[in-house]
Amino acid sequence: MDRIECQWCKAQNETGRTSCTTCGAPLDTRNLVSDSGWAEAPRLRDMTEFRFSNSTCQIEGEIVPVAELALAQGDSVFFEHHVMLWKEPQVPMSALNTPGGMKRMIGGMPHILSVAHGPGRVALSRDAAGEVVVLPLHPSMELDVREHAFLAGTHSLNYSFVRIKGLANVLHGGGGMYMDRFVTSNQPGLLLLHGYGNVFQKTLQPGETIMVEPGGFLYKDSSVTMQVAKQNVKTGLMGGHNMYLAEMTGPGRVGIQSMYVHHGSE
Amino acid sequence: MSMPPTQGAYTCPFCRLASEGGGATCPHCGAAVDVRLKVSDSGWIEQPAIRDMARIRFGHSTCQISGAYVPVAEMDLHETDWVYFSHHQLLHNDPRIRLDNLPLKGGWKRMRAGMPLIMMRAQGPGHIAFSADEPGETLAVPLAPGRAIDVVEHRFLVATGNIGYGWDNSNVWFTTQDDNNEEWHYPLGRTIDRFAATGGNGLLLLHAPGNTFIRDLQPRQRILVQPGGLVWKDQTVRMFLHFEYPRGAYWFSSPRWQAKTTWLTLEGPGRIAIQSVYERPEMAGQVRRTSGATTQYW
Repeated sequence: MDRIECQWCKAQNETGRTSCTTCGAPLDTRNLVSDSGWAEAPRLRDMTEFRFSNSTCQIEGEIVPVAELALAQGDSVFFEHHVMLWKEPQVPMSALNTPGGMKRMIGGMPHILSVAHGPGRVALSRDAAGEVVVLPLHPSMELDVREHAFLAGTHSLNYSFVRIKGLANVLHGGGGMYMDRFVTSNQPGLLLLHGYGNVFQKTLQPGETIMVEPGGFLYKDSSVTMQVAKQNVKTGLMGGHNMYLAEMTGPGRVGIQSMYVHHGSE
Repeated sequence: MSMPPTQGAYTCPFCRLASEGGGATCPHCGAAVDVRLKVSDSGWIEQPAIRDMARIRFGHSTCQISGAYVPVAEMDLHETDWVYFSHHQLLHNDPRIRLDNLPLKGGWKRMRAGMPLIMMRAQGPGHIAFSADEPGETLAVPLAPGRAIDVVEHRFLVATGNIGYGWDNSNVWFTTQDDNNEEWHYPLGRTIDRFAATGGNGLLLLHAPGNTFIRDLQPRQRILVQPGGLVWKDQTVRMFLHFEYPRGAYWFSSPRWQAKTTWLTLEGPGRIAIQSVYERPEMAGQVRRTSGATTQYW
């Protein structure tokens, strides 16, 4: 039987489908890749639906999309509690016990992640124009995500956070002190991110390097290393300035967003 | 909610007014008539963006919506028509438009509530245009005589002169205690705007950041929404606070202190509209007093 491979998540789909059952990406449009190799994250069609475990997720809206999750009994998702737009009253809530509370507080990360349990519906959205990026994770995959960029993770994902190494990286990297880390243990999981503006992804070969505006960094495979690189900017005024870029080195995927806060130069 | 008496072949699902249905857009609210309704599995209807350059009729005047990210509402005002608006929403006008101040009562209370103190009035003839300051949707809400809706603060863009404007306490509040200080919180804003058509059919334009979704609640049907996500509601819809405390043990905070979610319960019957962008709820302390709230400990 012929199958269609999703160009975004590589999942196999039945012929005749117009969107991927795993990540919602359109199957009937070509991948948009720039000349330099950045692939535009698939723009999820309004009301696109895809599945995880026994539950479904529907993406609604195109300016600030809403992810509406219909959770089946036994399924759950976790998220920062302030991204809940609405929920059915009977959906049970619990809190995810995140380790390293003091570090998280110092790092400006949320102390508590909320967990919504099925059965029932809950809808999530973030606070500015952009797009939802769906990243299915398979066992052995490990993904690092910029602080405050994840919208939801499914119950089979393990969540932790990693300290960004190097004082220069922390001070000038623009991403804060920590990154969220998502791994899968035994079964596949689904990670939903909200990228501000448009989102692009590039797969770096081993040793391949790309410089990225730190504020634009969104996610990376944990195999990609990230260092801050100082750039001297000569202006002829006050002896010049420095600006900082994130130097990303492969192998692995790097995701960036087109709308970001520029953290300035000194 | 009684429906307007207008007769016609097509009843717009968004503004609930009837028209001939011959054009590509509803003449009352600008919604496309030739597209399929986008309804989520749970029953929310996505408010369609008003098509670029679509025209809406009111009185002897027209309103044209242009742009897609932060739409502009450009009005061609007849000499007998006038509109009012918060002064910071004005984008441009031609010199023929006569601008003056619309007298408002309760200036001190409005100032305390953070509402605009100056409401401007524009009298035709001439062109005048309005826009808001965030990407989102312009919502056209035509009001038939006798119909009124409640609109959350700062969502109002412009209204025609035959729509009465009032405001009242939202009566949605709670207090928290910090040592000897009692802090007041107004998740919906201290006040809520009320618009009612008085003379003939009127047109109310709102701007909602992000995407907008509407839903008709059945009698006694309830839904929990972020207070900052509400855009407008029929006056028949009741609202009150609901605090949820998740189960589980975790570092630093007791559930009573920090991990609660502050919801706005909306109870039908009637229509509600929400936006996908909203202010982050406050991580406030222990709740002491409320305007009336339910609580759930999971």
